[in-house]
Amino acid sequence: MTQAAQYRPSLLARVISLFSGVGGLLVKLLLLCVLNGITGWAIIVLFTQDRIAWALGTIAVLGLIDFIYLVPNRFLPAKFIIPGSVLLIAYLIVPIFFTINTAFQEYSTGHVLTKAEAIDTNIEQNVVQGDRFFQMTPARDASGELVLVLVDDTSGQTYLGRQSGLEEIDSTTVSVDDFGDVLPPAGFTALVGDELFAIDAELAAFEVPLDNGGVIRTEGLSGAYDSVPGFEYDASSDSLIAADSGVAYRDNGRGSFTSADGEELVVGWREYIGFENFTSVITNPLVRQPFLRAFVWTIGFAGSTVLLSFAIGLFLAKVIDKPNFRGKKLYRSMLVIPYAIPGFLSLLVFKGLLNDDYGLINKLLPFDPPWLFDPWWARLSVILVSVWLTTPYFLLVCMGALQSIPAELVEAARVDGAGRWQVFRKVTLPLLLVVVTPLLIASFAYNFNNFNNVYLLTGGGPSTDDQAVAGATDILISYTYKLAFESGKGQDYGLASAISVYIFFIVAAMSASGFLRSKALENMK
Amino acid sequence: MSDSTNHRNDHWWRHLVMWVAISIAVLPPLYVVTAAFNSDQTLSGSSLIPRSLTLENFKGLFVQKEGGAEVFFVRWFRASVIIAVLNAFFTVFIGALSAYAFSRFRFRGRRMGMLFLLLIQMFPGLLNLVAIYLIVLRTGEVIPALGLNKLTALLVVYLSGAMSVNLWLMKGFFDSIPAELDESARVDGATPAQIFWGVILPLAVPVLSVVGMFAFVGTLNEFITASVLLETVDNFTLPLGLQSYIGTNFEENWGSFAAGVLIAQIPAIIGFIFVQKYIISGLTQGSVKG
Repeated sequence: MTQAAQYRPSLLARVISLFSGVGGLLVKLLLLCVLNGITGWAIIVLFTQDRIAWALGTIAVLGLIDFIYLVPNRFLPAKFIIPGSVLLIAYLIVPIFFTINTAFQEYSTGHVLTKAEAIDTNIEQNVVQGDRFFQMTPARDASGELVLVLVDDTSGQTYLGRQSGLEEIDSTTVSVDDFGDVLPPAGFTALVGDELFAIDAELAAFEVPLDNGGVIRTEGLSGAYDSVPGFEYDASSDSLIAADSGVAYRDNGRGSFTSADGEELVVGWREYIGFENFTSVITNPLVRQPFLRAFVWTIGFAGSTVLLSFAIGLFLAKVIDKPNFRGKKLYRSMLVIPYAIPGFLSLLVFKGLLNDDYGLINKLLPFDPPWLFDPWWARLSVILVSVWLTTPYFLLVCMGALQSIPAELVEAARVDGAGRWQVFRKVTLPLLLVVVTPLLIASFAYNFNNFNNVYLLTGGGPSTDDQAVAGATDILISYTYKLAFESGKGQDYGLASAISVYIFFIVAAMSASGFLRSKALENMK
Repeated sequence: MSDSTNHRNDHWWRHLVMWVAISIAVLPPLYVVTAAFNSDQTLSGSSLIPRSLTLENFKGLFVQKEGGAEVFFVRWFRASVIIAVLNAFFTVFIGALSAYAFSRFRFRGRRMGMLFLLLIQMFPGLLNLVAIYLIVLRTGEVIPALGLNKLTALLVVYLSGAMSVNLWLMKGFFDSIPAELDESARVDGATPAQIFWGVILPLAVPVLSVVGMFAFVGTLNEFITASVLLETVDNFTLPLGLQSYIGTNFEENWGSFAAGVLIAQIPAIIGFIFVQKYIISGLTQGSVKG
């Protein structure tokens, strides 16, 4: 039989090859049409939202893509790379640059706005009561809009206060009745009784903006007072001046306004601070201690997980890896079960199993270890569960690797009089390690960032004596996550980003050593 | 093999070691199975051997109890399967396109590009979620389907790694397909696109299956990105939904959680059975090809 006759493509292969002709071209044109349709619509939306620069940029990119795909026989590599690249740039590379950029900023709780926003917020939030008080009557104008009729207590000047602003009116059009209530001018109906109580909440939220940046707010149902901003921004000295005391709060260059005696306004802004986030890991004891503890634990966790899993996996592989061993296939497939179950589900199940009150494990054990609530038991739990998850992988790896070791070498050592243990130490293990070392390094690098195993099991806790953000079982990546997203003591996104960059260098160095050993880079021909 | 060696290799202690290891390996999964059928739905009432069996836990996933909370399990399941299938398909497609370019074309920046794609994978992606969240938020203002709380947005974010994650694996496989095949097709007048569809991809079915399988199972298990981008419980994927069972009330919903976990395994198992055929047929094909 010839080779050609033996070659029978699978159904999938035959379906795929259908696209090599006109079909593929039609699919390409169809996809291009869909892309143009969606993007074209987006461009129109961008224009209606007045985001002209974005719209023009999108047009340029779309035009370039269309051009590359519609010119035949040119830009061939680009035609194949563009679909992946566009998504890669938008949702992977841009976020990475965003993170690296953030690592150089003071970007934490109290420092999330831009400077202009921070100035506005400080001025708006810090209002002090002004010196004017008004008699007030809520009324509706002809169109039904709510209007405050105001009489200044001291000057007697009358005003109409609307949400759009304050309007001075002739005092003679407004009268005050015997009870001291203000009667609105003609054309306005005063709100009284139930009508008035019904708009209680609306009235309380009603604000009349003033030209000086302050507002008039109601007080009760018949009074109003003015509030003026507590600060004024002075552009020449780049500082906020307090309205009451006259104290100047200057831009301190680190995203805050501070006074001469060191008082800092709560609302700051994002500011570039150079390498400070990077150096604070070394110089600031409050950062250094949790960082170092998390770092040491990360290495301890990843190292012991990988070594224990490898040792157990190798042991089981040696036990099972015998010719004629009955039940070998059954044993192997049952031992691989932990590997087949989604990791995060196993972790949640273990969280239940290790529950110290209700968990199954403490029901089976004669004593009740506080698995997840004592720092050292929690560390042990994290390692044991990770070993449970990782061992099947190394079992499979070792079974494969053991078979690749030539039997003649083992035989030769035996003939020379080496015992079983000696053969294992001097022949099997060294040969095995040649194959397995890159995988050990890769597994270490993977566990180095194994967020799930820590976060889903212990949440990084329990917390330690110093109450730092990093709990007893927090590895670097979960510590980083907590810093960025959920620290009760204030988030520090800039510091978290800087630690991310550190992690990147550590993992890259480890991976590089693994790659050099496996010589994968030589495949880059 | 003589009887004596056979006996030595089959020593009783080896079997003992195996059974000890297996009992540790299967204890948690077994516990989930029994918890799913246990009539006592709480964690404290759970045990390895349930006192009485019930299907209530499963029923509770599909049928709303009277006066109980609305049940979204079917929606979660459907969302997860749809997004996993789409992600697997597009990951394979985009990955194969890129791998073909890096394997078959020689262009400026090729080496640098490959190293770069390798390097960016080592950046811890967790913090990128902030930027991704902001990008999705802003994109949603222009294209609502790619905004927050949309499964399409989640799919697109998943696909951002399609090019880099499997590039080296796929390129390695493509490299092993003899260039002479391309050559002869080109002599016959085939364009690069025709070679890609007609020659390379059909021969690469094994690696396509493996990559597709990884993407499929990976999507079914993905948790963190989904938890950032999806906001309302009716739009959750399975992992988020299952977590919501025990996230707020660990003790009480244990039975529903266990039953949900069991059902959640089905798509991955079916996917594996479905693809296994292609992996095996693909591999034998590869060996016959010579």
